Amino acid sequence: MSADKPLSRFHQPISVPGRRLLHHVPLKFVRKKVAGGGGRSVNQEIPLIPFIDFLLCIVLFLLASFSASGELPIDKNVKLPNAENVIDMTEAPMVAITGTQILVDGNPAGSTRAIEESNRLQRIDELFNVLKNKRDLWKQLNPTKEFPGVVILQVDRKVQALVVKSVFQTAAFAGYPNVSFMVGRLGKPGEGGGH
Amino acid sequence: MAGIDVGGGHGGKRATNHEIPLIPFIDFLLCLVAFLLVTAVWSQMARINADARVPGPPKDEPPEEVKKEKQLHVEMRGERKFQLIWKEGNTVVNTIDVDKKPVPVGEQGDIKYPDLAKKIEEEWKQNGQHRAASDTKLDQAVLHTDNSTPFSDIIAVIDAIYSPHRDYSIGGKTEKVPAFNVTFSVN
Repeated sequence: MSADKPLSRFHQPISVPGRRLLHHVPLKFVRKKVAGGGGRSVNQEIPLIPFIDFLLCIVLFLLASFSASGELPIDKNVKLPNAENVIDMTEAPMVAITGTQILVDGNPAGSTRAIEESNRLQRIDELFNVLKNKRDLWKQLNPTKEFPGVVILQVDRKVQALVVKSVFQTAAFAGYPNVSFMVGRLGKPGEGGGH
Repeated sequence: MAGIDVGGGHGGKRATNHEIPLIPFIDFLLCLVAFLLVTAVWSQMARINADARVPGPPKDEPPEEVKKEKQLHVEMRGERKFQLIWKEGNTVVNTIDVDKKPVPVGEQGDIKYPDLAKKIEEEWKQNGQHRAASDTKLDQAVLHTDNSTPFSDIIAVIDAIYSPHRDYSIGGKTEKVPAFNVTFSVN
């Protein structure tokens, strides 16, 4: 082949196809880095520290969301009405009025039958004694604090006003004039009332 | 794995580098999360307040003189109408009739009285005595009902009375609170 005659394309030396740039760097580890080639490592490190942080956040949130309202024992026989303008629950003695029974914190404290049969407002002695004992105990345990006088009534939606009034009056006589009715939360999300 | 490198560890002494066992720690946290999720009660329970209008236990001190203020008495004894009565002491100032129009809410048989709530709000805007945000007292509403009324109706009316809200400033913070405080009359 003469020097002035260009090589035809069939006479060019055959070279292996592939990457050409930066392949002549003499240092092997630098060449490997800059030219690419060495396949990606198949071992992957799981970022454990952020994962633990995330778990700790969940644990803290769940612990913080444990509130009094989550632990309230609701009697199975009581179907509560729902309301919109409500406030959050508080810790107080719980009086449940089912169809026939009156319970204070789950323990029987009277019957509604006598009130319904007599058809007149009356003081429920058993309930009065239980609430009064609770009040006295609270005062013994907290001699310097003022007694809040709050009681929460869990009343079935079908219970007559006469029974509610009798329990209401009995609670007030026993030193609990601030009565709250337990209800389900209805609509208006995020609004807490505040009365 | 995570470790704490504090140097040293030469010269035959015990190594001061320690590996924190992260995997058991993660297992423990996952167990804790699962336990908390299982035991959590996503309760929607709330309460609605009412004062008792009955004599409390006797006190040694003589009772304070209470200034007579306008009170809104809500009568729900009528079959077809509510009566809103503004009273100042025993003197009737004004009486308004509102038709009983229950509106069913949800599937559990709850009802609402939107007309009553609207009328009570209008009345409070006209006659309420504690409307300023700086006023720490609330207007008083007294609920009267007959003995046969079901409890769900009483709650619906109390809910309507609590529907008008006003600003309430305390400690430099202003928040919305119900305009009325409800007293449940047992007479």
